[in-house]
Order: sequence, then structure tokens, then C-alpha cells
Amino acid sequence: MTYPLVDWVSIQALLWLLGLSTLIVLGLKIWRWLRQQRVQQRSVVDRVNYLLPQTQCGQCGYPGCLPYAREICRGESINKCPPGGTETIVRLAKLLNRAPSPLNPAHGEFKSFAVAAIREAECVGCTKCIQACPIDAIIGGSKLMHTVIEKECSGCDLCVEPCPVDCIDMLAISSPATFEWTLPSTVIGAYSKLDSAL
Amino acid sequence: MNQLQHSRKIARKLRAHRIFGGIKPLALKARSLRSRIMPTPIPEMLILPLLQHQGSPAAPIVNVGDQVLKYQLLAAAEGPLSVPVHAPTSGEIAAITDAPVPGHGKQSQRCILLRADGVDNAIGLLLLPDHRALSHWQLLERVNAAGICGLGGAGFPTAEKLRSSIERGIELLIINGAECEPYISADEALIRERAAAVVSGAEILQSICLADRCVIAIEQDKHDALKQLRHSLESSSVELLELPTKYPIGGEKQIIQAVTGLEVPHDALPMDIGVLVQNAGTAYAVHDAITEGKPCISRITTLTGTPLQTPKNFEALIGTPVSFMFELCGIEESRHTGSIMGGSLMGLELVRTDVPLIKTSNCLIAKSRAEFPEAKPEQACIRCGFCATACPARLLPQQLYAYSRNQNLEQLEQLNLADCIECGACDYVCPSHIPLVQYYRASKQAISSRDQQRQLSAHWQRRFQFHQYRLKKEADGLQEEERAHRIAPEAAHQARGFSRDKARQEIAAAVERVATRRRNTIASSRESD
Amino acid sequence: MTIALTSSPMQHGQLETNRLMLLVIAACLPGVGIGTWFFGYGIIINITLAVLAAMVLEAMLLTLRKRDLKFYLSDNSALVTAVLFGIAMPPGSPWWLVLAGIAFAIVIGKHAYGGLGQNAFNPAMCGYLFLLLSFPLQMTSWHIPSDAIVDAANFSPLGWQGLRQSMLLSFPFLAADAATVQATIDGLAMATPLIESKMAAQNALLTARDTDLPLFARSSDTGWEMVNIGYLLGGLLLLYKRIISWHIPVSIIGTVTLLSLLMYAPGSTSIVGTTYLHLFGSATMIGAFFIATDPVSAATSNLGRIVYGIIIGVSIYTIRVWGSYVDSIAIAVLFGNFCAPLLDHYLRPRVYGHQRAPLLGEKRRTG
Repeated sequence: MTYPLVDWVSIQALLWLLGLSTLIVLGLKIWRWLRQQRVQQRSVVDRVNYLLPQTQCGQCGYPGCLPYAREICRGESINKCPPGGTETIVRLAKLLNRAPSPLNPAHGEFKSFAVAAIREAECVGCTKCIQACPIDAIIGGSKLMHTVIEKECSGCDLCVEPCPVDCIDMLAISSPATFEWTLPSTVIGAYSKLDSAL
Repeated sequence: MNQLQHSRKIARKLRAHRIFGGIKPLALKARSLRSRIMPTPIPEMLILPLLQHQGSPAAPIVNVGDQVLKYQLLAAAEGPLSVPVHAPTSGEIAAITDAPVPGHGKQSQRCILLRADGVDNAIGLLLLPDHRALSHWQLLERVNAAGICGLGGAGFPTAEKLRSSIERGIELLIINGAECEPYISADEALIRERAAAVVSGAEILQSICLADRCVIAIEQDKHDALKQLRHSLESSSVELLELPTKYPIGGEKQIIQAVTGLEVPHDALPMDIGVLVQNAGTAYAVHDAITEGKPCISRITTLTGTPLQTPKNFEALIGTPVSFMFELCGIEESRHTGSIMGGSLMGLELVRTDVPLIKTSNCLIAKSRAEFPEAKPEQACIRCGFCATACPARLLPQQLYAYSRNQNLEQLEQLNLADCIECGACDYVCPSHIPLVQYYRASKQAISSRDQQRQLSAHWQRRFQFHQYRLKKEADGLQEEERAHRIAPEAAHQARGFSRDKARQEIAAAVERVATRRRNTIASSRESD
Repeated sequence: MTIALTSSPMQHGQLETNRLMLLVIAACLPGVGIGTWFFGYGIIINITLAVLAAMVLEAMLLTLRKRDLKFYLSDNSALVTAVLFGIAMPPGSPWWLVLAGIAFAIVIGKHAYGGLGQNAFNPAMCGYLFLLLSFPLQMTSWHIPSDAIVDAANFSPLGWQGLRQSMLLSFPFLAADAATVQATIDGLAMATPLIESKMAAQNALLTARDTDLPLFARSSDTGWEMVNIGYLLGGLLLLYKRIISWHIPVSIIGTVTLLSLLMYAPGSTSIVGTTYLHLFGSATMIGAFFIATDPVSAATSNLGRIVYGIIIGVSIYTIRVWGSYVDSIAIAVLFGNFCAPLLDHYLRPRVYGHQRAPLLGEKRRTG
């Protein structure tokens, strides 16, 4: 009876050893990765705040996006941000593992991005809009004409209400005339995550 | 990796290397190579867009109604990334207006319309002394003034590319004559007929960018061109490298890999690893500009496609309308279903043929239904992996496709969608007719618009935080001021060591002193009396 | 002015999904032909039944899912599933067994996941495993027409006697009385070589196979080798046509070869089969070239494919030798399918211009 050079039981043992060491190496890698993840993790409030559009419009009922983010983390509903629209709600729902719900109409409705513009001839220089602007995007002195820095405006609407002579318009930004590729039409509708999530 | 290591590698590795992926589509170049390069007649109206390159448009320096001569400067470069535009022939400036131009972006653009007078009077060209006597900065200045941009299709201003290359230091200049894309034969025809000029252009480019070596890389199936090149290169230091016939070996990143075996890091430019790539057509234009003083007013363009009776290569004037070019080749309008500017794999579809031929137009294809059938409907992806095998960037097109469908932008970024060069190899091999490149283009745009939105959001957030800080500071400041009004005199007095009691004593002392003095004065006067 | 522009490229390759599927079927033909030559009409009956049922079921499900019937039926994917399933079924399986299996394959294995391209598991093997778990007896006994119960000179499995036996096995209701059927079933049952080697007469069988093998003689004993060689040829055709990449078959066959070489101890009592038996004694070739390479459920990156093949190879060998199932291809492939998404996620190639492959959770440098 001839025996093989290496007994197959010993080979099995060898294989076991190999397998075990692979497992250990993999485990180490995964452990290191997990640690790395923890370092990179930001606080939930920060992450919620990151998803909010930062228009600081206060339509949610809180003075700014960060306060709303704090309240969301305390259990406030996530459908109170009209500038963010459906997309923000779905993203928030995904982040917080909550059920997405349609935008609460009590807080306004989604509008496409528009910036404020003052009809400068009519401006009486009351500075009320300047006080209302949450991001200091309106300049002008008392009894002098004001104007909106179009580049800085977040389109929050807050200056429209206080104006005593109603000289502020929200103008939709004309998008630059670049060609936009769209996803092939089979995708639109059928696979839109945002539609199916609601 | 530092420059030194790279240069060692370049010196060692100069041979034909494998590139990742790639496909071998039907080349279909022979039909346009049957005849020699022909000059085009002068069309009635030339349309000269002010932006034919990457960067900012040139600024017109002529007025409507001006009579201009051939080679005359019509629009000067404005800004660092700009190239001038010259008159391809003599005539009258008919208008400076918006006109349709080729491109995915804006459908119309500022153009100078030049009505040709047919006389073709030229201004006197400044004939140069031997260009070898000029310094490389002088040569660079001439390239800049000649209005040359990358004629291979990308259209990057050549002078700017050379200038930044000089600053970085270049080891290797690659003259790209690979021309891997189907249908295009412009560079092949150019090298076949004017190899000496291309080699001279390569030498000039090398002397400008101060590269140690210069290689002309060309696909090995271009036999005639190779023969001519070998002949012209006999007495030159420029080397020749035959590349395997494979698409897209003529892409900038791919040809660098094929020639040097090095990869351009994803966050760097070719010049960062000491390599500069210039197209063969560009080299020819540089030769013309330096030795003859001619600005870039024409280029070699392939006209091909089955509706054309005589497909061939033209030396076409920049600004010639595409329809005029097609008519020169005897187009059968009944079979003509569309037009492509560029090759069949990376070219762009022209929606109208009254657009002009521009400096980057290396090919015009007239489509026919037989050759370019309508796009078939998209079938399910069966994950066959043909796309991953074909991808020259070694991406996973099939996973990119899945994430594109779901618009999962984070995953797309992680899979390095940004490294996709949109060569279309994946799309070409896909058995399910999925328009992959369109998915990637749409996703890339979605990513960039999301990034823009994020930047805006962050900006608004910063401003809001500053606003709050300002309000707080103002409120604090008001209080501060009030308190200051209340306690300021006190504090000031204290600072000077002042106290009320002491002051009172001092006042009393002073009053006393005055009284004493007065008394003394009265007493003395009485004594004197 | 908005114009619907086609994105480049405008030129496309010739290979299309439906042609690709047909080529896969064509590559099966040598194996099917050889199988029929040795084992009679059972395989062809299986395939025909499976194909007919699959097309009907596919059409029904596409209608239910409101998909365009002509467009989706013409991708031929159901055809491939049915052919592979028919090949995998033991010849002489009763008709209801085939129908139940293919129904599971198409309905649960394919359409419940969302149709072609979405199925996580190989549909044909889903159906097969479903039968293996539900009808172990029928699935492990092979019925091959032979002269065991018919007293006929020059008996051929392809002759009319063989045809009659095959038909009786597949459609028992055709027989006049139940006794004939029972006699046919009992008389024609045989085990695959692997089962034999596992259950009994190991030494005898292996010695016979290793020493004097009448490879080209037409007997059901050697039929297995020839069938496997047939599928090997078909697989090489697929490789030549570049429909499959070499990674999966090579790593499966390599792993099985390596393991069986390592574990084989000639002369020892703990024989677990020679390499030859493992490669050619069962369905290894069709598994490696046709079933594991089903692109939808396999890993897609090249490195992933190699690991996927190794996982399947190890599973094949492990299940055969230490598991309780003998025909382990189906389970091994499904196990590989389990791992495929993970492999796709982790084993990504290094992208041009990057130092290393993208990793999960890696923060991208921005700006």
C-alpha cells in the first residue's frame, strides 16, 4: 500500500490554518475600517443640517436651518421644509430611518429657486428688508435706495413681507444656457426613487 | 512620485505598452483615403465663431463693413485661455452676431460673418529668419499669435499648454497620430502627404517645450503614413513608435499609457508626470505658423459617410459651412439622415448643417439609415461584463449604470465616475443597446449641479452664522455702550487716581492759597501806603 | 429650442443579447447531442418540455407585469434558462417534475426578482434545487433506456425501443397499465458515477475508471466522460466567441482539480474520488462553463470572478465529498451567487490613474 507524500488529514489541517489566518487578517481589516468610520462620523444634528437647503427662510417655524435640524433630532417632523422639497424629505427620511411623508402645506409649497430683486425706483429706503434678511444679502442706507446682492440671495422670501411699498419681486433665475443631458427616457418615471418613496 | 523617478521610467519604458480595455471597431477609413487632400473652394459666406477652443472667446477688433484680407487678425485673444481668430480669405465683414455653431452646449454663439470677395488677397506674411535662431519664448509667442488650439478635437489653446509645460519641465513630447476613431482619416492623410512638415512641426514643438525626447506615435495599420514618416525621420532626432490598432489608444491618457506605460494620476495633468501630448495636425499647424508665418485658417478635415459620392480629405477653410462641404462631395440628400462632427464614437451630432467647420472639426460624417440605424430600444442589463472589459479607464460601467439609474450620486463618486472619458467603448460593446454614455453624462451633470448647490448652501450657512454673530455683537455693543456712558467718567477719574474727597481738599487748598495771596497783597499795599 | 440629441457613440457592435443567448444554446448542442447518443431521448424530452413551459410561463408573467410581450420574449433569456434546466434534469424524469421545476425557475427564480437582469440567483438552478429538496428520490436516480427490461437484439437507446422507454418514463400515463411503468422505472434506474463512488464499490469503480476505460465505447458507463467533453467543447466555443470570460471556468476547474489532487490518496480506504472522476464523472463541465457563468447572477469584475469561481469550486468539492448531496453544482452555484454582490462590491479593479481600488467607506477628497 502506497501512501501519498502528504497525508490528506495534514493537508486539511493546513487548509484550516490558512482559513483561520485569512479570517484573522480580514477581521483586523474590518476592525480598522470600523474605527476609521467612527472618526469620520459627524453628529446627527450636523448631518441633518447638511441635508437642509440652508436658505434660512424660517418657513418651518424655527429661526434658521440649524434650529430646525436640532428639533428634527428631538422628534420634530421632517416635512416642514418647503425650499428643500420632496428630495430633502426623502433624504432626511433615509438618514433618520423615518417614513417619508409629503410636504406639509401649512408651511408653504415647493417653488423653484428665485432670488429677490428690489424695484429700485420705488424703494423708499426704510431698511426693513435689510433687517429681515437672514444672510445680509441686502445693502443700502436709511432713506437711501437698497439693492439685493443677487449672487448672495438664498431666495428665502423673508424680505418680501416687510416691505411697506411692495417693491420686492422674487425672480426665477434664468439658468445658464448649457446643454443638459437627461437620463434616457426609459428611466424617467419608472425608476424615480423620489416618486416611489412617497 | 517625483519628477526624477518619472523621467527614469519614461527613459526606460519607451515602447508600445498595453492600454487597459479597448475595442476594435470597424475602422472604415479607406474610403476617404482613396484620393489626395483637396483644398476647398472659397464659400460665399464664412462663419467664424469667436470661441472655437476651450476657454474664453476672442474679442473682435474689426467692425461690420470693414474690408479684410486673408490672414488678417479679426479677433484678438482676451484673457489667458483664449486664441485669436484670423480671416481665412479676403472680403467684407458682413456681421458680428449670434449664429448657430456646432456643440452640445449653446446652440448659437458670437460669430464674425465674413462675406468672401473671391479675390483671396492676402496680407504680406512676416517671413521669419531661421526659426532655430529664435528663443523658445519667441516661438511660443508666435504660436500664440497664430491662433492654434488642439486640432485633435479637444481644442485646448496650444500656446497655453506649451507655456505651462515649460514651467513644469517636460521629459517627453508625444505627437499623437494614432487617430483611433473610426471614419476619421485626416491625420493619416496629412502624415501620408506632408510627413516632412509634421516632423518639422514636431521638432519645433520639441524646441519650444524643451522636451528631452519626442515620439511620433501612430497606429501600425497606417502603412502609407508609416512609410512616409520613416522616410522623413531619417535625419531627425524625433522617434517613431508604432501602436497597436485599438480604440481609444489615441486618447490623451491612453496614448501616454501606451507610449510610456505610465498612468496620469487622476488628480494631475500629463505635464505633472513630464509628458506633453500634441496632435499631429497641431504639429502641422505649428510648422505653418513658424516657418511660413501663416496663422491657423484652415485644417485637414475628413468628409465621409455613404451618402457622399466622393468621400475624401479636404484642406478646408475654417468657417466653411458644413452643408457647403457636403455638397463638394456630392451628397445624395435622399439618403442623408443626419450628420456627425467628429468620429462615430465620440463625435457630436449636428442638428443642422448650416453650422461652420471650426478648428477642432477633424471629421464630418453624413449619416445614412443603412450605416447608422435608429437607436434600438434599451434591453435589460444582463451584467455580461463586456463593458468592463472594454473600459480603458478600468471602471465598472455596469455598476455605474445601475447607480446612475438610481441616481445614487455618492456611490457613483466612489466608483470614480469622474474618471470616465466618455469614449463610448462600453456603449459600443453593450449587447443590450443601453446608452451608457448618456447615463454617465447625465449623472456627471447631476453630481456637478449637486456640488454647486452644496457650495451655495454652505455659503448661505456661513452668511447666516455671521448675520447672527453680527446681531449678537450689535446687541452686546448697545448694552456695552449704555454701561459705558454710565460709568465712564468714574472709571476715567479712577484711572488718573482721582477721588472726590481729594479733589474737594485740593479745591479748598487752592481757594485757601488764593485767599492768602490776596490777603498778603492787600497787606503789602497798605504797608507801601 | 430643445432638440433631442443622441449621445455618442453612434456606432455600435454587432453582438446583441438575443444572439448571445442563442449562441449559448448553440454551445450546449455538442453536449446535448452526446448525451442523447449515450442516454437516449430523455434529455431532449426534458429540454422540449422545459422550453415549451418556459415560453408559456414567461409570456404569462410578462403579461401580468404589463411588459411588452414581443420585445421581452425575444431576448431569449427564458429559452436559455429552460435549456440549461432541461439539461440538468435527470433523463427520464416524469413530465410533472420538469414542469414544476421550470415553473419555479421562471416564476420565483426570475420574475419574482424583477425579470431578466434583476435575478440574484441562477433561475435554472433555483428550479433544480427546489426539486432536489422536494423530490430527492426522483432527482437522484437516473433512468437510462437499456436492454435490461426489453429483450431485443441490437438495442439502441436511440432506436424505437429506446424512444418508447424514454416516453414511458417521461409520460407514465401513456402506458396501458401501471405495472409496465413500474417495471420500466425499476429496471432502468441507475446511479451517476459519483453516487456510485460515494455509496458503494468505491475501489472497484475507481480502479476500473483509472485503468482500462473504454472511453469511446457506447455504454452508459462511459457516457459521462463523453458528455462532459461535449460541454467542454461548447464552453471553449463560448470562450473563443468571447461570450464568457475565462476567469470563472478556469478558477472552478482549477479549484476542483487542485482539491481533488490534494485529497486523493491512491490505495487508501478514504477515497474521495480521483480528479478525473470529479472533472468528468459528473456535471462539472456544464457547471463551470454554462451555469456558473450566467452573467446576471455571477460576479462581474475579473478578480471577483476568480474568487467567485474558487468559492464555487470549493463548494462543489466540499458538498460532494463531505455533504449529503452528490450533485453539488446547483447548490455550489447558488452559494456563489450569494457571494457575488459582495464580491462585486469589494473586489473592484484599480481605476486608471488611481493608486488603489476604491474601497467601501473611503472618504473622497473633495475640492
